[in-house]
Amino acid sequence: MQVFGIRYRNTQGTLMRILNAVSRRGIELPYVQATPAEHSHTVTLLLEVGPKQMGQLCRDWQAIVDVTEVRVGGRLSVMAKPAPSWTPAYPPVSAGGSVEAARTASA
Amino acid sequence: MPRGAEIVLACLLGEGVDLAFGYPGGAIMPLYDALEGSGIRHILTRHEQGAVFAAEGYARATGKVGVAIATSGPGATNLVTGIADAKMDSVPLVTITGQVRSPLLGTDAFQETDIFGLTLSLTKWSRLVRSIEEIPAAIAEGFYWARSGRPGPVVIDITTDALKANMEFAGPAKYQPAPQAVDAYGGEKFPAAVIALLETAKRPVALVGAGVKLAGATRPLRELLDRLRIPTMATVHGLGAVPAEAPYYLGMVGMHGTRAANLALDESDLLLVFGARLDDRVTGEPTRFAPHARIVHFEIDPSQLDRARTCDLPVVGDLADTIPAFLDALGRVALPDWKGWKAVAEGPERAETDPRGLAQPTVRLLDELYRRLPQDSVVVADVGQHQMWAAQRYRASSPRGFITSGGLGAMGFALPAAIGVQLAKPDTTVLSISGDGGFQMNIQELATVQRLGLPIKMVIIDNKYLGMVRQWQQLFYKRNYAETDLSDNPDFVAISQAYRIHAERLGEDAMREIPLGGEAGGLLDGFLASREPELLVFDCHPEANVYPMVPAGAALSEMVFEE
Repeated sequence: MQVFGIRYRNTQGTLMRILNAVSRRGIELPYVQATPAEHSHTVTLLLEVGPKQMGQLCRDWQAIVDVTEVRVGGRLSVMAKPAPSWTPAYPPVSAGGSVEAARTASA
Repeated sequence: MPRGAEIVLACLLGEGVDLAFGYPGGAIMPLYDALEGSGIRHILTRHEQGAVFAAEGYARATGKVGVAIATSGPGATNLVTGIADAKMDSVPLVTITGQVRSPLLGTDAFQETDIFGLTLSLTKWSRLVRSIEEIPAAIAEGFYWARSGRPGPVVIDITTDALKANMEFAGPAKYQPAPQAVDAYGGEKFPAAVIALLETAKRPVALVGAGVKLAGATRPLRELLDRLRIPTMATVHGLGAVPAEAPYYLGMVGMHGTRAANLALDESDLLLVFGARLDDRVTGEPTRFAPHARIVHFEIDPSQLDRARTCDLPVVGDLADTIPAFLDALGRVALPDWKGWKAVAEGPERAETDPRGLAQPTVRLLDELYRRLPQDSVVVADVGQHQMWAAQRYRASSPRGFITSGGLGAMGFALPAAIGVQLAKPDTTVLSISGDGGFQMNIQELATVQRLGLPIKMVIIDNKYLGMVRQWQQLFYKRNYAETDLSDNPDFVAISQAYRIHAERLGEDAMREIPLGGEAGGLLDGFLASREPELLVFDCHPEANVYPMVPAGAALSEMVFEE
């Protein structure tokens, strides 16, 4: 597993372009975290990639208009934080209905 | 105060746009309402795909940004193939689409599609414009990215309410990108490194791609090649960058490249790549590409490096800068003469022996047409067997003279693209070459050709099959011609006449006569000399094949020349 840190201007679609570069290669995205960082944003990705894919991904990211920096490696501490507990807001559950039924209906 | 639609058109004018291709519809109606008197000529095609391919043809022929306009929903999705095509072939293209009113975004409103999201992986840059205030900056930035660096497609999706709103407008915006650190892969010392590699190379070759043309670096490249005089080949998009008569030029490389080009590349120990992506149609099996060679890759877009094989020396930068820099450094450096290598690579035993069998009459037709074309003509090829024959036989040295959908391989490209080329170059002979399958994919654009009276010379190579697929079925699927039979094709001559375009049919027997018979020769002369649109339907043998061919998964050296 390799950690990538990508700094970008948070313009329309830039984060999606960063993620598309991964998904178009059929690579799993086990960990993604995007956070504001100073005047821009940073997304941290954890990916299972070989050296050749790593080079191609980095160059693809660098070719995205609003990506300003691509780093390989870096801090893993962000992943050590436990995910905050959350309540699913979706699918909406009708009065008297179950979450499972709502999921089935929206499938 | 001007409306958003008027501001869009003013901004387009500010970017130098005087011609746009499109098709109206609900969400884009405000823009069409403002079109008259705007100073922008609009070409109505009969399908949005026709519009985007025509815009591409215009852009490919001129190097300027092509503009295509469509409405939301199906209008926008019909542009997608052209957008993908522009991405693959590095074509500067701006598409402007109408979008549903901003309060309806995301509600699955009538004719709402998320064209911004749909095209994220196909565009170089895109923007969903939700308010009139965003319009000037979005257009300025979109055009900047479409034409800068490695050119590419841009989508600007504008909501109807933004087009209808009014605001004070001081004039088009200017875009200045934020400074960005660029990794200097090549660095200033790259010429010395390339020269050092050349000095020790025994079998150097040069491979030329579209990047040279896009950079406007054809002239310095030719000077460089004349200095190096090493065996040189071109990709399909590189055709015309190197004069075919240059003694070191071996022709097109790749799946249907020449024997000499493919063998030289396979045997080389140093490969200089100038502006080529090295996709799998060029490399054959990527892991077996140029197995003995060290690779020096001149390229503007770092994301194109190392796709086929890791290159040994990337030279990243605008080829208009890096090629002259290399040429200057080469100066009076004494290079090896590589006499023995050139004798092998350029020797007569590797020359084409013309083993084309059933394809011979079609190849002859192309030769006869090419022989009659003025030097500055533009050939626009569709996708399939005829495309490869057209590329193999192309001999002109016009940098933007051979246009085709190379990376995406989008059938139906040629006819609408030829419309864009002819509008860009009204005094130039434009020859469009299609197969019977591809021609029917955008056959409706005959109406556009007729309406505008464009003197495009359209050729259909009619083998009554989806020929390239059939060829693969013949060679690799035991002649199981599943769903490639088009023997019930319509009468193309009658269809053309219904569009009020003159058409003729020519049988392949006419191309077996040596010398060419007076009747056939006269027909070709008249076809090309006419100042009206003309269609020529040529009967090609149903089982004619394109050779040489590198089968899928094979190395370039493993060409086959017959079944």
